[in-house]
Amino acid sequence: MRSLLSVAVLLFAAIVSAVSTTDDRLLVVADDVADTEAYGEFFEDLESRKFNIDYKTPKSEGLELFRLGERTYGHLVFLPTKVKALGPQLTPNILIDFVNAGGNILIAQSSTHPSSTSIVSFLNELGISFPVERTGLVVDHFNHDTVSASEKHDVLVLDAPTPVRAGIKPFFSGNEGAVLALPHTVGHTLGAGQLLTPILRAPRTAYSYNPKEQSEAVDPDELFGAGAQLGLVSAFQARNSARVAVLGSAEMLQDKWFAAKVAREGGKETVTANREFAKMLSGWVFQEIGVLRVNGIEHRLKGENETNPSIYRVKNEVTYSISLSEYSWDSWKPFTLPDSDALQLEFSMLSPFHRLDLHPIDATPSATVYGTSFTLPDQHGIFNFRVNYKRPFLTNVDEKRTVSVRHIAHDEWPRSFVISGAWPWISGIGATVTGFVAFCAVWVYSRPAPAKKTQ
Amino acid sequence: MAPKKNAREPTPAAAGTTQASATAAGSVPLVPKPKATSTGAANWDKVLQNIYNYYMTETPQRTKLLDVFLVFLAAVGALQFLYCILAGNYPFNAFLSGFCGTVGQFVLTISLRIQTTKANKAEFPKVSPERAFADYVVCSLILHFFCVNFIN
Repeated sequence: MRSLLSVAVLLFAAIVSAVSTTDDRLLVVADDVADTEAYGEFFEDLESRKFNIDYKTPKSEGLELFRLGERTYGHLVFLPTKVKALGPQLTPNILIDFVNAGGNILIAQSSTHPSSTSIVSFLNELGISFPVERTGLVVDHFNHDTVSASEKHDVLVLDAPTPVRAGIKPFFSGNEGAVLALPHTVGHTLGAGQLLTPILRAPRTAYSYNPKEQSEAVDPDELFGAGAQLGLVSAFQARNSARVAVLGSAEMLQDKWFAAKVAREGGKETVTANREFAKMLSGWVFQEIGVLRVNGIEHRLKGENETNPSIYRVKNEVTYSISLSEYSWDSWKPFTLPDSDALQLEFSMLSPFHRLDLHPIDATPSATVYGTSFTLPDQHGIFNFRVNYKRPFLTNVDEKRTVSVRHIAHDEWPRSFVISGAWPWISGIGATVTGFVAFCAVWVYSRPAPAKKTQ
Repeated sequence: MAPKKNAREPTPAAAGTTQASATAAGSVPLVPKPKATSTGAANWDKVLQNIYNYYMTETPQRTKLLDVFLVFLAAVGALQFLYCILAGNYPFNAFLSGFCGTVGQFVLTISLRIQTTKANKAEFPKVSPERAFADYVVCSLILHFFCVNFIN
């Protein structure tokens, strides 16, 4: 049935264009293709967004991420597997190469299956650490689901996450009062890398323990993590804007939990927002949202028509504009800055001479144009117009345009009669010249008569 | 012109006498000095008076004209320098141009004076006063051209 569906999707995909900005080829790696039936709705949503899904196990024949130097898939989804290592085609090095080649990866783990060493080593490279035994269970005695896990407390019920700081786009916040259910979560901790951003962190009262070895009590020395230290869903965006997301609870993507009713202790039953969260998470990882594109850059002398000249003069007035679009599910829309964020232009030689906020000066149906004007510094040299906009959940934008800035030419200096401080000296020269002319006139008209006679 | 003739006629003959009188005038201050210092000031007054009289009677009219022009140039130069000290030399090239214009003109006028005074006629056998004046005019024009160029 699944393979028939795949064939139908393949045929369909041949006619329709992809919706992801990068690629529509998606590979799902699971122990058993039958396992993926529990995630039917999630994969149906993906297919309705025009993804071409391939289901393989780590031991499948013909599983290869690279063929003849090119990626064979644009995106990977890892579901929990029981095997210790994922085989020679999915080694951590190959996964790193996949990300460096622009591929995106969504890794869903569960506390019921210890994570494979390939996944753990790969995530270690990115700065995401798993517990020592590669498994752990996050429990919360105050935020669990009383409907299904009133004894074991291993189904977390959490509010949809808000951005960790102002200025980040709230992709994962969902609607008002959205509630997520995370059953059998394995928590991870994040390193100090700049490329990591937590999406959903454990609440203050949660902690992680190993059900096999720490079932009685957790020694404080052996606690892996508690509270907001534990990340449940985290994101990593590489410098080439390829995306990796780690989801601690794969079961939250299952059909059962998309439609489940959960209740916290003392709260009333609500339907989970897992489906929307899964849509936003998969949309972000597979480059359907949060993708920026620079349509064009223009800089010119203020008031002139010639665009992007290669040479300016010191203290020229210059205007700069950059056009940005943001991709949102199926089309390019104008990019609006988050509220407390700024898009900045740096005008720099070795270090910035100017760092200026860019303001939206124009908008088209598919792009916003940000621009500013300023005066070039009184320094000659080779300068760069640089827009360096790297934010969590948005594609990295780093655009440089190089221009020369020349001296004032010998005939561009102000003339001395324009400088009021030079007037005394100009009158001094005038007095000298006038005196000379008068002297010559008097000299010529006063010939010494006796001298001529004696000669 | 008449007073000048009077001044000029005895000049060749009086050249020796003027020199003698100059030395005589020059020797006057030497005699009273060992006598008493109380009359020193009076002697200096007398010396200056003698110099002034000698200058007024003995120098030719043309040379006096040159001297007037020299005084004028010195005054203009001093004014410019005073202004520079008081109000700063902001466009420095302007200050240099103006001041050096007057200084250069002064130097050229001095050299014209040297070449045209009757007393120095023996030292410039090949340079007639007209030739000296022509040189003076050409060099002055070059100087003015430079000054106008430098002040921009």
